[in-house]
Amino acid sequence: MSRKPEEASCRLTIDGREIVVAADTPVIDAAERLGIMIPRFCYHPALGAVGACRMCAVKFLDGPVKGLQMSCMVGARDGMVVSTTNPEAVDFRRQVVEWLMANHPHDCPVCDEGGHCLLQDETISGGHALRRYRGPKRTYRDQDLGPFVAHEMNRCIHCYRCARFYQEVAGGRDYGVLSIARRTYFGRYEGGRLESPFAGNIIDLCPTGTLTDKPSRYRARRWDLERGPSVCLHCSLGCGLTVGARYREVMKLEARLNPEVNGHFICDRGRYGFGYESRPDRPRQPRVDGRETIAGAALAALAEGLKPFEAGKVAMVGGTRSNLETLAALLGLCRDQGWRPPVFFRDARLAGAAESAAAALSGDLVASLADVGRADVILVVCADPLAEAPMLALSLRRAARRGAAVLVLDHRPCDLPCEAERLTFAPQELAGCLSRLAHAALRGRKEAAAYLSSLPLPPDLLPETALALDTWGKRLAEARFPLVVCGTDQAEPTLPALAGGLARLLAGSHDQDRRAGFLPLLPGPNGLAAALAGGGDLEALLADIEDGRATALLVVESDLLSRTPEPERWLAALRKLKLLAVCDHLPSPLLEAAHVVLPSRTVFEAGGHFVNQEGRLQRAMPVFSPGLPMGRTLREGHPPRLFMSCAPGSEPRPAADWLKDLAGLLGAGGRAGDWADLAAAFPGLPGLAAGPAPENGRRCLPETAPGADAPSVAKTGSPDVPPDHLQVLLVERTFGTEELSCRAPLLAASAPEPWVDLAAADAGKAGLAHGAWLLVPLPGGPLRARLRVHQDMAPGLLLLPRDPRLLWQRLAGTGVLVELLRLHAITAEEEPAGEDTTLEAEP
Amino acid sequence: MPDDDLRRTILNMLQGVEHPREKAVDVMYLLQRQYGYLCDEALVVGAELLGMTPLELEELATFYDFIYRRPVGKYVIHVCDGVVCWMHHEDDIFRHLCARLGVRPGETTADGLFTVLPTVCIGDCDKAPAMLVNGRFYGPLTPGRVDEILETLRSGDEERVLCP
Ligand code: SF4
Ligand code: SF4
Ligand code: FES
Ligand code: FES
Repeated sequence: MSRKPEEASCRLTIDGREIVVAADTPVIDAAERLGIMIPRFCYHPALGAVGACRMCAVKFLDGPVKGLQMSCMVGARDGMVVSTTNPEAVDFRRQVVEWLMANHPHDCPVCDEGGHCLLQDETISGGHALRRYRGPKRTYRDQDLGPFVAHEMNRCIHCYRCARFYQEVAGGRDYGVLSIARRTYFGRYEGGRLESPFAGNIIDLCPTGTLTDKPSRYRARRWDLERGPSVCLHCSLGCGLTVGARYREVMKLEARLNPEVNGHFICDRGRYGFGYESRPDRPRQPRVDGRETIAGAALAALAEGLKPFEAGKVAMVGGTRSNLETLAALLGLCRDQGWRPPVFFRDARLAGAAESAAAALSGDLVASLADVGRADVILVVCADPLAEAPMLALSLRRAARRGAAVLVLDHRPCDLPCEAERLTFAPQELAGCLSRLAHAALRGRKEAAAYLSSLPLPPDLLPETALALDTWGKRLAEARFPLVVCGTDQAEPTLPALAGGLARLLAGSHDQDRRAGFLPLLPGPNGLAAALAGGGDLEALLADIEDGRATALLVVESDLLSRTPEPERWLAALRKLKLLAVCDHLPSPLLEAAHVVLPSRTVFEAGGHFVNQEGRLQRAMPVFSPGLPMGRTLREGHPPRLFMSCAPGSEPRPAADWLKDLAGLLGAGGRAGDWADLAAAFPGLPGLAAGPAPENGRRCLPETAPGADAPSVAKTGSPDVPPDHLQVLLVERTFGTEELSCRAPLLAASAPEPWVDLAAADAGKAGLAHGAWLLVPLPGGPLRARLRVHQDMAPGLLLLPRDPRLLWQRLAGTGVLVELLRLHAITAEEEPAGEDTTLEAEP
Repeated sequence: MPDDDLRRTILNMLQGVEHPREKAVDVMYLLQRQYGYLCDEALVVGAELLGMTPLELEELATFYDFIYRRPVGKYVIHVCDGVVCWMHHEDDIFRHLCARLGVRPGETTADGLFTVLPTVCIGDCDKAPAMLVNGRFYGPLTPGRVDEILETLRSGDEERVLCP
């Protein structure tokens, strides 16, 4: 008998209705497609079936399987006849829910799950309304699982969802299943913060009130919330979120299913990165020369102020966290007024890397996060997934668990929650190593000749390293679905183009039905759009301001003073400006220096479109209207006793609206601000012309990238590092460095203490031990931080996170070197008392 | 801390094992034998030697009946509450034993001599009702026989057998 092909479909009947599904689809899913929601606890589409709870029992009346069976454990087959309403099945389910409720504390009135609780739903639908069991209930002691997850074990029904997610999906090793039988306990070895940066997902997954969101505890019922779909802005992946707000304040964020992007899950940076929208120091009132005013007056003052300037002396700085509408308005303004091209990136290297990544992307090559899980050989080059795009780490784990081989080429000690081979090189060697690997992968391929000849020479390599690179090259060439991931945060400008070129040629080596993928990581949620728009870089702009070549500056949603390694220089330069206008919703020292302040709305209030790193257009909905959170106005006893037609603090407007109105006042209105307009602003995203994005987004990239096969490779010079010196590199971390989320009170209060990294060889030379407090002499003064020493990190580097709690801005410049032997550990008495390491300016 | 001999024994046992965690139960038994029960210190040391996190080892430790995470008496009595023993009135034996010793299941006598625990079928159903004392099998039991056994154990003649 021949085996059925995997995709074979079959026809079955559920409750008298026929449905055709792929063979082996769990019957519980097939029923759901008919709109029949079979009760369940343990089954979850992202976790698969284990048959642990026995809640999904149905009766199989006819076909290859007969009798009472768990519908999550039985795969669909031709000719099955299933009844979910058969009395035997109904009675079985009633008994299951009764026994699951036997120990339940009946504390729904004080339980945060109440109102969106699967256990409540299944108890009612299962017909269990009266308690018969009168014996003593089993009780547990709860644990403190840290700042985010509240634990109430007495409500647990032992469905295992949390532990399966935590260990299998996320690779966490500090939360699991203890004990046995009716004593089974879900928790940690001892109380303490859950270590996984994906831990928050167990809140969404738990079908009961056992694991609930701690920060929003006792603050709102589900039905009290204004809820709406949104997009996460804390990295370029654009994971789906559901925002829940109440009383003009975000209460909580939950993962929103987007099958091609984040699936069912998000990372904790995304989940707890909110709160900047309700900071007391958020700018809410338009200001001119330090005095509060109304919107019209501020705009008029700005338009009037801009008129005397020569067009070429007006500069705009935009941010990659702005929505597409804002970026388009900003680009339109610069073009129509003949101003200098806008600046989006902090330095020329980053701008170059982002642009080269964007240029290498096209519809036929780009890979989504879901594709990562489908790939069989994955090359990650110059990317630290957990720091730059946390959910990518989960996708890599999914791939590795399905047998994919993963190679990471980077200079940092990239932690991954999965098996991966690590080869570490200095950042400037990465292109050369990629070149070696590409030669091995594409050897003898005629169409690759131009690409290969454009590659830089490999650095001197140890024989075993060279062999490893060659082996991986061959693996990529033989793979069914090879995938190349490339970061931009640390990459030399040409590296993403080289990585993309390699992926393109790997795709070419395959038969029609095979493919290769390229997945770049970009700076910020709209980094791709900004990179496609081109423009200058901040370093060049700074020099121009100093030389008087730019005398008016408009900064829109870009936190440049707290992101630059040269804040003093910027402050001095800003004082030279004749006009500085800032439009933002984040508090920053920039606002103090500004002549005109235009408060903008956050994504929760303005919504808007974002294009993630795979060119997917997604929409965030405005979820609530801006205004001072009631939580704060009420703390002062009573909302302000003022007569006004709007809520206090509701002046912020969408940044795009400010810019459009400014354009109108400057006499260049007439832009409709519609989809044609957006498409015109971003010729690199032709798909924009098709209009608004569907629920799960839509790719907007051109189908092929013109000229992407032969990347132009500029020579990149390696910095001259004298012996026994360390190059200081600013790096990202999962928590505490990203622009928006480092202003989130929840993360700021709980992010792990910032640390610096050193390779074991360097630490050894300097006699420094892991965990020591270190004094790093920086040009702007010493920096104190804990040291972490790593075996798997390139030597000659000191990694410093852009964490506002560390005085990293004492770098006072880029390309800073420090002498290895001038690093020293400080003694216990000298150790800072905690707040010493934090910026005083940070409230 | 486990003494050097024990450490060496464990390391030898783990040598060349591809997945050290498959030896987790054996390592826990070795540690339990030295410490008398698997105390927190033993668990943490064991986890470290096995390359597991304390949670991962605790998951196993708390799953198995014969790993004791709390102090136990000199003699640990596991009364079988499997189906066959139950049909042979195991609960009478259990009740009698507890009454004689003045403890409830899970407790240890004040003199530190006896701990009473249930266990699943011990595989000697033909001699039901049955129990294990420090790994040694006794059955079929009657209340009288239980008294005799306790007497012998108290007098200390009974050689100390440890599981496994
Ligand atoms: S804690 Fe929640 S998810 Fe975990 S087993 Fe209990 S009910 Fe299920
Ligand atoms: S991976 Fe990025 S986009 Fe996704 S939830 Fe985390 S920070 Fe947000
Ligand atoms: S959902 Fe099928 S057994 Fe739990
Ligand atoms: S049931 Fe007691 S030994 Fe088998």
